[in-house]
Amino acid sequence: MPPPASLSPSSTTASGLRPARRRSGLLRSQAFCGVVFIAPALIGFTFFYLLPTIRAFYIGLTNWSLLRAPKWVGFDNYVRLFNDEKFWKAIWVTFLYVLYNIPIQTVLGLLIAVLLKQLTGSVLVRSVMLTPFLISNVIAAMIWFYMFDPVLGFVNVMLKAIGLGAHPFFSDPNLALPTIAFINIWRHMGYTALLFYTGLQSIPEHLYEAARIEGSSEWRTFRSITLPLLRPVLVFVLVTSVIGSFQIFDTIAVTTQGGPGTSTRTILWYIYQEGFVSMRMGYASAMSTVLFLGLVLVTLVQMRVLRSGESDLS
Amino acid sequence: MYRLRNLLVATCSLAAVSAHAATEITYWLWDALQLPAYQAAAAAFEKANPDIKVKITQTAWGDYWTSLSTGFVSGTAPDVFVNHLSRYPEFVANDLLVDIAPMIKKDNVPTDIYLGGLYELWGKEGKQYGLPKDWDTIALIYNKEMLAKAGVDPKELENLTWNPQDGGTFGQLIAKLSIDEAGNNGLSPNFNPKKVKQYGLLVDGAPDGFGQVEWSHFAVSNGFKFHDGPWAEKFYYDNPKLAETFKWIVDQMNKGFIVPARDSRQLGANGFFAAGKGAMALTGSWMINWYLDNAKFEKGFAPLPVGPDGRKSMFNGLADSIWVGSKHQEEAWKWVKFLGSEEGQKIIADYGVVFPAIKSAAEQAQQVMSKKGADVSPFLQEATDPKVTFLFPIADHSADVLRATKVAIDAILLEGADPANTMKEVNEEVNALFE
Amino acid sequence: MKKSSKRIPVGQWLGYAALLILAIISIGPLWIAVKTALSGPTAWLTSAGSLVPHETTLFNFQRVLGFVDSSDPRITQTGMAKINFFRALLNSVIFTVLAVAPQIFFSATAAYAFARLKFPGRDLLFFLFIAATMIPGAVLFIPNFILIKDLGWLNTFQGMAAPYALMTPFAVFYLRQVFLATPKDVEEAARIDGASYFSIFFKMILPMHSGALATLAILVTVGTWNEFFWPFLIGREENVRVIAVAINAFRTQQQAGSPDWTGLMACTVLGMIPMIALLVFFGRKVVESFQFSGGK
Repeated sequence: MPPPASLSPSSTTASGLRPARRRSGLLRSQAFCGVVFIAPALIGFTFFYLLPTIRAFYIGLTNWSLLRAPKWVGFDNYVRLFNDEKFWKAIWVTFLYVLYNIPIQTVLGLLIAVLLKQLTGSVLVRSVMLTPFLISNVIAAMIWFYMFDPVLGFVNVMLKAIGLGAHPFFSDPNLALPTIAFINIWRHMGYTALLFYTGLQSIPEHLYEAARIEGSSEWRTFRSITLPLLRPVLVFVLVTSVIGSFQIFDTIAVTTQGGPGTSTRTILWYIYQEGFVSMRMGYASAMSTVLFLGLVLVTLVQMRVLRSGESDLS
Repeated sequence: MYRLRNLLVATCSLAAVSAHAATEITYWLWDALQLPAYQAAAAAFEKANPDIKVKITQTAWGDYWTSLSTGFVSGTAPDVFVNHLSRYPEFVANDLLVDIAPMIKKDNVPTDIYLGGLYELWGKEGKQYGLPKDWDTIALIYNKEMLAKAGVDPKELENLTWNPQDGGTFGQLIAKLSIDEAGNNGLSPNFNPKKVKQYGLLVDGAPDGFGQVEWSHFAVSNGFKFHDGPWAEKFYYDNPKLAETFKWIVDQMNKGFIVPARDSRQLGANGFFAAGKGAMALTGSWMINWYLDNAKFEKGFAPLPVGPDGRKSMFNGLADSIWVGSKHQEEAWKWVKFLGSEEGQKIIADYGVVFPAIKSAAEQAQQVMSKKGADVSPFLQEATDPKVTFLFPIADHSADVLRATKVAIDAILLEGADPANTMKEVNEEVNALFE
Repeated sequence: MKKSSKRIPVGQWLGYAALLILAIISIGPLWIAVKTALSGPTAWLTSAGSLVPHETTLFNFQRVLGFVDSSDPRITQTGMAKINFFRALLNSVIFTVLAVAPQIFFSATAAYAFARLKFPGRDLLFFLFIAATMIPGAVLFIPNFILIKDLGWLNTFQGMAAPYALMTPFAVFYLRQVFLATPKDVEEAARIDGASYFSIFFKMILPMHSGALATLAILVTVGTWNEFFWPFLIGREENVRVIAVAINAFRTQQQAGSPDWTGLMACTVLGMIPMIALLVFFGRKVVESFQFSGGK
């Protein structure tokens, strides 16, 4: 942002500010001011990010119901979770969910972004697409839970009207997880599209000109120019949405609570149940630490595979 | 003028002082239908004890226990709360409940006025953790018109037999009462299970491992028992008699005589019944008022069918417990004592929403309910017959037992998993909790 | 599938059609919620497939906001579940302000320090802050819950706002980018004139970047207003619970067999209105805030 016109170097008070009186050296020192400016954020970071991460690992080394003092059990919890088939089932369910959710969401987002770029980038259209993202997960889940209701839900009423019959989406062990993925896709596709749209806008037009002159087909242009230049946005979208999807909770709390059976019992839901319903905080914490490490691994692999370090603009 | 004003000021300040002096105790319950009854009881209690105020909070069942746990953990749990047999063992194990046996002794509270067995349920090894407040049993509710159309005399319902092999006369009846869209009933070879208009029997689609309303009575009348008694550390879910029972239920669902679990999970048996989609439903006595208010047609109640081991119904009794962390344990005890007394329970009985634990109050409640249009005597009959009632299972780790068994039963009802193997596996899992 | 070209009208038609369908799918369900909330409590049972409200009434909204007396006979038609949604809305406002306002301010000060000031350990510290963006809420929630409990802050606004109020890694990162992208000359001129870092920050940095601060404010406010998981753990009681937690609690109170859909939809509509209003009144700014929230 260019500085306001009145702040030209030639005026005596060059910056437009009253010259400060000579204060003590301390107040003028960068180090001191730096520390003061950082202090609140540093406190927040230390107490709510750094220390808890370490503490989570430590709590995992205990059995603790919170109603009594913690009991040290060493690595018992960690060993136990590796043998816990419920833990692995939860990981599997979460993995499935990510598989349902991310590819479709990303592709849809890309599609919408392309449509926006080619047809109309109007604020109205973009606002409409963004709207689902502005409502909370709980509200989105509640509305779709209602829409999918077997008796009174709009979706089922329409399905019945066209002869397909009502489906108990959330009561069917095979449909529940995809339905939850659907809700999430619905909520995020517009937002993802906007992120891609920004990325598309930043691709220089002359590249497309050149491709057109060369007679390249739409698809080829897309593959060799658009996609590679979208890579930074793609990486951002994929990494953040994968990390977010692994921690899905809100939608499940409102709709299926992990059921039917265990078909929607994702890893965070299982951790929550173990910690807050069964009051086994130690075990829950051990699982969350393992989840954390797993996510770090997944992210590193993703970034490696997507070769996020390189930029293709050159 | 001055005197009047001074009098006014004096009265106000007196009122303020006595209001300030009143100790407030918090009381939690989950059943919204019972809230007005307890508010009335609180009003009466406060009148008799002007220095105590009772603040009632209703938190829905789904949230109740987690909120309570958070309260225990954070030190903000209520002074008194409605307790349930499925959770109270864990509270006992964690030393969260006040033992009221000494107070009962000191105040000479009569303990024999409650329906048989209820008082003992809430005690362990000489300690007492609650005074019984109400009880419930399970029975059948039926749609009079649908029975009449099928030519069934309601009196037949009092002597139905059941067994898991062929369903007995009960099985015959629910087949007869199932009607498909073409008008065939379940006894006809043309009956289409995929297009059922009216189910013979409605059952909730998401039962847990205690199956209070849905399956426990069938299984126990077949010879199954959950465990050896309160506080036992071994369950018998692998008993083949239980698997047989589930097999029969799934069979009936596939045949279209019982509403499929998949469909009744969200709406519930009561929703289907009120919408006229079933001739009979299994129901607990706490739902009586709901049916009276929402099922706008002639209906009646009948006892459960008689199985190979006789007629059985799960017998559950709630009580009020005091939290060990309460800062007003004396006042809390007064409230609990009141709720467990004839005077308190008669107030509750007048609202006709639940059967109080004291016999005379229970009969009074029955009268009130009957005035609303239905004869609820089957519930009371079952409750007073010791051969019929079997206790709600009381055991440690019940929350975990329930969770594990719910998953297993979901698999059986929704995915067609083999009952024998599934229950055997979950039994191992459950018993491992006690090691 | 990724076709659409300026040259072929058919492709353009298909493109417009696709956009229209997607728009309807995005907004449609919200309308269904509105129409249900506006329908009379019993009339809607027969009009489940209709696109317009039946027996249009504001009763449901009045009811969930607590403006209808509980002895009103119409209440029994809708089940006995009670909810004080007015309180929930108020709680959300308090929680959001408490969590967002200081967060933006302190993140700005920290971002300024990272962008402009030199002090020992600066880069290492920033690297740690970046690393913090990678820490999933899933591993933080248990220790943070215990911390809040030990502070005695369960079921309080400060307990709910605490993890957000001082900083979030995203806010610091975002603002630092913004500050770094601005040329230093004006600030350096001010330094030469003898201005302190504090006055530069308050009188120059903040006003200069009001646009970016507004963007951050929008992003953070929307996110915080819609939060569920953390407030769900910490703030259950009626006097602190925010709208997402209240709606979930309302849902659990439903009697099986007759869920109070009109009431639930009234709550969801009320919960949506503030954020949608933000979009309606600040359309372009909001859209662009989210568009650029990925950086770049």
